[in-house]
Amino acid sequence: MKDNNKTPRMPRTMELPRPEKVTCPYEESYQADVVVIGCGFAGLNAAVSAKEAGQNVLVIDKGRPGYSGLSPWPSSFRWFDPERGDDEEAFKEAMKRGGDYLCNLNWYECWLKESKGIYERLTNWGILAQYPKAAEAGDFYEREDFVGYREMFDKFDRHKKWIEVLNRYEIPYLEHTMVTDLIAGAAEPEMERENQAAEAAKKICGVIAFHVPSGQVITVSAKAVVMATGGGSYKPTGYPVGGDTFDGEYMAWEMGLPIAGKEFEDFHTTSSQAPGNVFLDNHWQYLENIWLCGGDVDLESAAGYASAKGYAMVLKRVQNSVNGVPLANGSEIQNVATANYTRRGGSKVYETDPEEIRSGKMSTPVAASTLAGAATGMCCHLTSGVFCGLGETDGKTEIAGLYVAGDGIHATSPSGSAYPCGVGFTSCFTSIDGDHAGRAAASYAAGESFASLPEEEIQRKKEEILAPLSRENGFDPNWARDVLHSIMAPYWITVVKSEATLKAALVQVEYMRDHVVPKLQAATSHDLRLCLEMKHKVLSAELKLRAGLERKESRGSTYREDYPFRDDENFLCYITQRKAENGESTFDKVPVPDAWAGDREEAYQSRYVFYFPGEPEKMGFQLPERGRKGKGEQK
Amino acid sequence: MSVVRIDLNRCIGCKNCVEICPMDVFYFDEKARKSVLAYPENCQSCGQCYLNCRGRAIGMSNDTYGYPITAFRGATSSPMNRMIVTEPGVIKELTKGKLP
Repeated sequence: MKDNNKTPRMPRTMELPRPEKVTCPYEESYQADVVVIGCGFAGLNAAVSAKEAGQNVLVIDKGRPGYSGLSPWPSSFRWFDPERGDDEEAFKEAMKRGGDYLCNLNWYECWLKESKGIYERLTNWGILAQYPKAAEAGDFYEREDFVGYREMFDKFDRHKKWIEVLNRYEIPYLEHTMVTDLIAGAAEPEMERENQAAEAAKKICGVIAFHVPSGQVITVSAKAVVMATGGGSYKPTGYPVGGDTFDGEYMAWEMGLPIAGKEFEDFHTTSSQAPGNVFLDNHWQYLENIWLCGGDVDLESAAGYASAKGYAMVLKRVQNSVNGVPLANGSEIQNVATANYTRRGGSKVYETDPEEIRSGKMSTPVAASTLAGAATGMCCHLTSGVFCGLGETDGKTEIAGLYVAGDGIHATSPSGSAYPCGVGFTSCFTSIDGDHAGRAAASYAAGESFASLPEEEIQRKKEEILAPLSRENGFDPNWARDVLHSIMAPYWITVVKSEATLKAALVQVEYMRDHVVPKLQAATSHDLRLCLEMKHKVLSAELKLRAGLERKESRGSTYREDYPFRDDENFLCYITQRKAENGESTFDKVPVPDAWAGDREEAYQSRYVFYFPGEPEKMGFQLPERGRKGKGEQK
Repeated sequence: MSVVRIDLNRCIGCKNCVEICPMDVFYFDEKARKSVLAYPENCQSCGQCYLNCRGRAIGMSNDTYGYPITAFRGATSSPMNRMIVTEPGVIKELTKGKLP
């Protein structure tokens, strides 16, 4: 498909003669009890758990498991372990307050109970192996010898473990294959009787995908599907999410499922030394082990801990974005001799007990990162994606047999709206999420038989997937990508929001949806992937802007300059949107249960652990002269 | 901010870069038995091809495609940002005396 009798665009490198015809190594159709889309932490755990439950599992990944999406890149892992001094109430307090009371405690309880088991599982798989860091393992740091360090500790390389685990459990996988659509049919009559909701009349029967290098379309018949597709970003800027493009969110939207949490923003930063270069920004921490974290929160320090997180992740981000940074702000590659080896997220016990394994994150120095916007479009960890209901902890959706799991596709919100819980939580939590979905999907599949795939719909979808290849005139998807990024990246869209700026961006995104996306043009199957991804990214941008407009308050990682305060009366809720018949969004508010909402009568000033710019003036109180609540001082 | 070819002669045809890359940046030329760096504009600069290149035929460049990607220093405005990681120590050489 890479040679489709058209002249591809001019080669962009001198060594490119002309893309060759690639033969697809896969069949045109498959059948599996449980299909898992995406193989990061959530997908890998879902696949293994479904397989352990006795079902045939097929994994489909857009890249190669272990190298694609966000899962290859965590630098830390956090689990709850009372035997190591973790305090349940302290964690809960930090999470509730720091997450501005949007923390889903049902899911948080799952983490408290199951995270240690997941730690043991991932340790057993070799993913959490510990080995010497670059600055202490020889002269790798001094010589900037990245490849040498990798070769020295090659057997510990966690990226390889994903495929090793799939092979160990004899789980087949299709790699470099992009799932583009879910196929659902009418549910059986007993299903309709059991569940009166209109949406429950649908049940999953398979997926349609294409092998990117060859362009071959692949259909898979399935009893159950777990979407562990991750979130996305509009363009990689200092964080490796170029392949994460909201594919699952698009499929869920098309299925009419509710999407929540799009208004909450990613807090990761990048450096001014090389803002767009993931490798230069993060080399050692991605090359070194996943650091073990936990044991850093107790009851006395819980509120201060949450306050410090709010200060570092929300206020500093706002300040840096609005004011800019000085020319020499220290965000260059650091020298090991002068580097600050601050531990982050490590156990207090570590200071006195050399046996304590939870040292926290203390990687060899890389460029210090202070600039917001590392991953434009990515939502705050765990807030966004399909909303399954507050009490639903299996990722079960309104479509029978369809499950969601993982960061960016499943709005679980165990950490509320600001991710106060500390480094390493997400890699652990998404594994739990995946394990739940895998087991639930397997249990569902065990009682089902295969439904035949609707021929006409499959044909129609195939034509839709391949359409950009046959357009005579059109636009380059790389151009569209850059335009979308230019619309969404400015700080007045993602960091400091207002009605006017969000609406202005929305007009442009809607224009792209209506006039650019339908005319994206592909010369090769590589371009075809980009065209489909652009469709998904434009939809995601639209949902993000609409969600931002809908939340007329500031909370956690979303700051509205025109509403610089928390509005508990109207917005202590999750906001969901789903596709209406006219294609626009219809919104719903799901209130936070009283048990999660803290003391609503508590004075505003002490109820919240940090304040947005303009908030004290608006709410009529003064900031104390010398900061407040421990290390998270606010000046 | 993408992968660059250091020397195609060094490519031993191990296919690691083709198989690892999540962004479909490479394809494999079966006749020449070498990888082809086909779509560097879609590189997400994760560096995994570079780290796993057995012939050490590829490197990482700090050049960006298009515009500055944050509101702060763009990747082309600083001498630091013209560097290419190829061999151990190259970063240090290129940046000697240029850090603030």
